[in-house]
Amino acid sequence: MRNIRKELVSSPTLLACVVLGLAALPVAGQQPSPPYAGSETCQVCHEDIAKAFAKSTHHLVDTSAKRGFKGQACESCHGPGQKHAESTSAADIQNPGKLAAAAADKVCMTCHLNGSTQAGRLMSSHARDQVACTTCHKVHANGPDGLAVRKPAAVNELCQGCHRNVWAQFQRPNHHKLPEGAMSCVDCHNPHGSIRPAMTQTFAANEPGCLKCHGDKRGPFIFEHGPMRFEGCATCHETHGSANPRMLARQEVRFLCLECHSNLPTVSNKTGAIGVVPPAFHNLNLPRFRNCTVCHQKIHGSHVDRNLLK
Amino acid sequence: MTRHTILPTILTMGMLLGQAPNPPAQPPADPAPAGQKPAAEQKAPDAAPAASPVPSTENILAGYIDLGYRWRTAVDGSLNTYRSIVNLGSGPKLLGAEFTILDPKHRAFDQIQVRANSFGDDPYQTLHVDVKKTKLYNFSADYRDLAYFNYLPSFADPLLSRGIVLNEQSFDTRRRFASFQLDLLPGNWFQPYFAYDRDAGSGTGASVFVTDANEFPVPSRMHDRTNLFRGGIRFEMRRFHATLEEGGTTFNSDQTLIQAPGSTAGGNVSTPVFGQPIDITSLLAAYGVSGSSTYSKGLFSGNVTPWLDVYGQFLFSQPDTHVAYSQADTGNLLLQSQLLFFTGQQFLVSASAKLPHTSASAGAEIRPFHRLRIVESWMTDRLHNAGSLLSNQTLTGAGGFSQQTTALLASSLVTNYNQEQIDAFYDVSPKLMVRGGYRYVWGNAADAVLPPAGLASADQAKLRHNAGLGGVTFRPTQKLSLIGEVEGSSSGGAYFRTSLYNYQKVRAQARYQLLNSLNLAADFTFLHNQNPAAGVNYDYRAQQESLSLFWAPGGGRVWDVTGSYTRSSLRSDIGYLPPQTLSPQTSLYTDNAHTATVLFNVKLPRSTGFAPKLTAGGSFFISSGSRPTSYYTPLATLWVPVVKHVNWFTEWRYYGYGEAFYLYEGFHTHLFTTGLRFTR
Repeated sequence: MRNIRKELVSSPTLLACVVLGLAALPVAGQQPSPPYAGSETCQVCHEDIAKAFAKSTHHLVDTSAKRGFKGQACESCHGPGQKHAESTSAADIQNPGKLAAAAADKVCMTCHLNGSTQAGRLMSSHARDQVACTTCHKVHANGPDGLAVRKPAAVNELCQGCHRNVWAQFQRPNHHKLPEGAMSCVDCHNPHGSIRPAMTQTFAANEPGCLKCHGDKRGPFIFEHGPMRFEGCATCHETHGSANPRMLARQEVRFLCLECHSNLPTVSNKTGAIGVVPPAFHNLNLPRFRNCTVCHQKIHGSHVDRNLLK
Repeated sequence: MTRHTILPTILTMGMLLGQAPNPPAQPPADPAPAGQKPAAEQKAPDAAPAASPVPSTENILAGYIDLGYRWRTAVDGSLNTYRSIVNLGSGPKLLGAEFTILDPKHRAFDQIQVRANSFGDDPYQTLHVDVKKTKLYNFSADYRDLAYFNYLPSFADPLLSRGIVLNEQSFDTRRRFASFQLDLLPGNWFQPYFAYDRDAGSGTGASVFVTDANEFPVPSRMHDRTNLFRGGIRFEMRRFHATLEEGGTTFNSDQTLIQAPGSTAGGNVSTPVFGQPIDITSLLAAYGVSGSSTYSKGLFSGNVTPWLDVYGQFLFSQPDTHVAYSQADTGNLLLQSQLLFFTGQQFLVSASAKLPHTSASAGAEIRPFHRLRIVESWMTDRLHNAGSLLSNQTLTGAGGFSQQTTALLASSLVTNYNQEQIDAFYDVSPKLMVRGGYRYVWGNAADAVLPPAGLASADQAKLRHNAGLGGVTFRPTQKLSLIGEVEGSSSGGAYFRTSLYNYQKVRAQARYQLLNSLNLAADFTFLHNQNPAAGVNYDYRAQQESLSLFWAPGGGRVWDVTGSYTRSSLRSDIGYLPPQTLSPQTSLYTDNAHTATVLFNVKLPRSTGFAPKLTAGGSFFISSGSRPTSYYTPLATLWVPVVKHVNWFTEWRYYGYGEAFYLYEGFHTHLFTTGLRFTR
C-alpha cells in the first residue's frame, strides 16, 4: 500500500494537466483550416486508390460527419490538399507513409487513440521501437485482408518479416502450431501492447492469455506452484518452440526442477530465492526420480495435495 | 459444430463453386509491385500459393475451396513421437476454403467472409466466419478443434527394466475452442459488444496414482470446460475514449483414475518393502472441480491537449474454485510414517480457493517540444490466492483394523508486482530517433501452507530491478532502416535462481532493399544474465542471428525465392544440489542450433494457355549440445490449371526427426496430397 500511496502523490500534477488540457480544447464546431480540396478532387488523379478506398472501412470517414472530415477523407490523413491539387507536386502534400513513425502514428491516433486494443500502447515495444501503424496496416486497401491481415498464415507471415529469429524457433520439432496455420502470433500477443510482459494477450481481464486455451491450468489451485503465478509459463517452457519434449527449457525434467529447487531451507533467505531442495530419498540414480513429473504430476498446481502429487 | 456437419456443407459449396458460370476475372489481392514488397510480406513456406479472395461488386460469391486426399507412408521409427509432433494422417480432406458472400441489396448483411482449414480428421481444424453490416453490426465466430496428443517416449521410464515402454504422463485429447463476438454499431460515439468463448478438452491418457511407498501408472480420463461470457461498451469521443467491460467465467474439470477391480498393478517399485510387495488391486479416484469468476475491465485514453496524451486501465478478476475429490483404493499398501500396512483406503477432500487479482496501469505521453516526447508509465499487478482444504482419510486392514485421520490445511500465495518506467524519445532528424529510459521494478512474493509439515511450508522473496534502456532508429532512406536497442539491469532480488538478475539485452535489426527485386534483412539478439549469489552462480547467455532475403526478379513473373537462416546459441550454467547427496553440482545446458527456411516459386512454361506453378523448399533444423536434434520438413507442390476455375494440385512433404542421445524418439515419413481447387 505504501507503494500505491507513493504513486498517488503525483496525482495532483496529473489532475492539473487534465484541467489545463481541457481548458485548451478548441471551441466546438471550429472548422479545420482551409484549403481542403475534397475527396472528389483527389479521385481525379488517384483513381485506383480511390476505388479501393471506396470499399474499405476507412471510407466511413468520407460519409460520416463523426470525424469531421465528411467528403474529405483523403485529407483527414494527408492534410489539406488544395495546394497539391493545383501544383500536383508531391512536396505539397503530407504522406504519412514517409513520415517518421511517431508522426505517422499521430495521424492514426487522431481517430484510433483507443480501441480495446490500444490500452498500454505506450508501454509496448512496438511503440518504443517506432514501428508505425502502417507497418502492419494498409490504409487504402479493401477486401478480407484489407486494413489488417486476418488469416493466421498471413498474420504469421507479416510478423516474421521483422521477427525472423522468433519464427525460426517455430521450426523446432516441438512448437505451438503456427507453421501449420492453426494459430497465429496474435493469438498469444497483442501487437498494440498489453499489461502483461512480452505484450502477451490477457484472458478474463488480467489473467495470462495462455489460459484461454490451457483452461485446465487456470486454477485457482488450493496448492499453487509459485512460478506459474510469479513469472508465468515461460519459467519452464520455451513457448515458441523447442527441441525438448513439451517445449521445456531443459532436455530432462530433473534439471529444470533442480535448478530452482536447490536452496537449503536454512539458507534460502541468503540466496533470496524461492525453492527448497527435495528430501534425500529422491535418488537421481533411479529412473523414477529422474523425471520429477512422474510423481509430481500436478506440477501446474494441485487441488488436493500440497506436494502436487495428485 | 463438428466435422460431420461442416464437411458436407462445404463440399456442397465446393460443387456450387465448381459449377459457377464464368465470372469477371478476380482482381489481384496485392496491387503493390513485387519489387517494393517489404520483407514483412515475404511468403512463408506454408503460405497458400493463391492470393486471398477480394470481393468485387460483380460477384455475389467469390473464393476458393481445396478438396483432396492425403496418403501417409508408414512411419519409420517412433509412431508415438510422430503423433506427438506432426499427427497428420491419411484420408479425404477439406484442405482449405475461403470465400466471401456479398448482398448487393445490403439487407441482413453487407458481406460474409468464411475461412475453413484442414477438416477431415486432421489435428488442426479451423473455421472462421465474419459477418458485417455497415453502421449496424460486426459479428465474428471462430472455431478450432485441435488434437492434443502426447505419448512421447520417456527417457526415465521406471518400468523399462520389466520391458514396459510407457510415458507415465501421457494424453490423447482434443481441445475445442469456440469464440463469438457481436459488436453493435448503433451510433457514432458508442459501441456495445457481447462475446462468448468456450474452451473444452476431453480424452484419455496415462497418469500416476501416488501412495506413500509406491506409484502406479493407471489409465486416466479427463474432461474440462471453460465458458467465458462478457459484454461491454466502448465510448469513442473526439478527444477521449473509454471501454468498460464486465464478464465472468464458469469452469468444470473432471478427471478420473481407474484401476479395475480384480487386477493387480505392481507400480514403479518392484522391490518388496519390509518383505512385502506394495501393489494395488483396485482404484477409483475422481476429481470434481468447479469454478467461476467475475471480472471488470476499464480502459481510458485521452488526448488532453495537443502536447499531452494520457491513458489508464484497471482490471480486476476474482476466480474461485470448489473441489470435491474422492479416492478409494485397495491392495497391499504402506503408510511409511507409521510403518503401517493396510489393505484399503478412502480419501475424501473438500476444498476451495479464491484468487482476487488486481491490475492497473497509467501513463502519459508528453510532448514539451516538437522533437521531444516523454513517456511515463506505471503499472501494478497484485494477486492473492487463499485456499483451504479439509481431508478425511480412512485406512482399513486385516482383522477389522480401521484408522481415520482428518486434516485441515490453509494455503496462501501472494505476489505484488510494480513497475515504473520513463522513456525520452528525441527526433534528431526525421530520419533518426534516439531514446533513453529508466525502469524500476519492485515486488514481493510469498507462498505458505499451514500447519507446516513435510516440505518447507513458507517461502518468500523480493524483487528489485533497476534497468537502463536505450535505443536508436535510423532510416536514412526508404530502402534502409536500422533499429538498435540495449537494456541493462542490476538487481537487488529475484524470485528464482534462474530469474533475470544482473542482465544485459541487445537487439539490432537492419532492412535493406538492395535492388528493386531484392530485399535483405538481418536480426541480432543477445541476452546475458548472471546471478552471482553463493550457491547459485548462474550464468546464462543466449544469442541469435538471422539473415533473410526475398528476391523476385521481374516482379516475380517467372520465379521468386524467399529464404532465411538463423543461428542460435544458448549456454546456461548453474549450481544445484542433488537431493540424495547435497554435494554441489553444476547443471550445464547448451544448445547450438541452425535453422534454415527456403521457398522457391517458379512458373513453368505454358502448355495449354495456363501456366503451371512449382513450389519447392521447406524448413531445416539441426542442433548440437545437450540434446542434439535434427528436424527436416522439405516440401514440393505443383499447381496445374485444368480449366478456368479449376486447378489440380499435388504436394509431397517429408517429416524427418532424429535424436542423437534419445534415439528411440526418431521417425521419418512421407506425405502425398493431391486435390482440386475450385475458384470463383
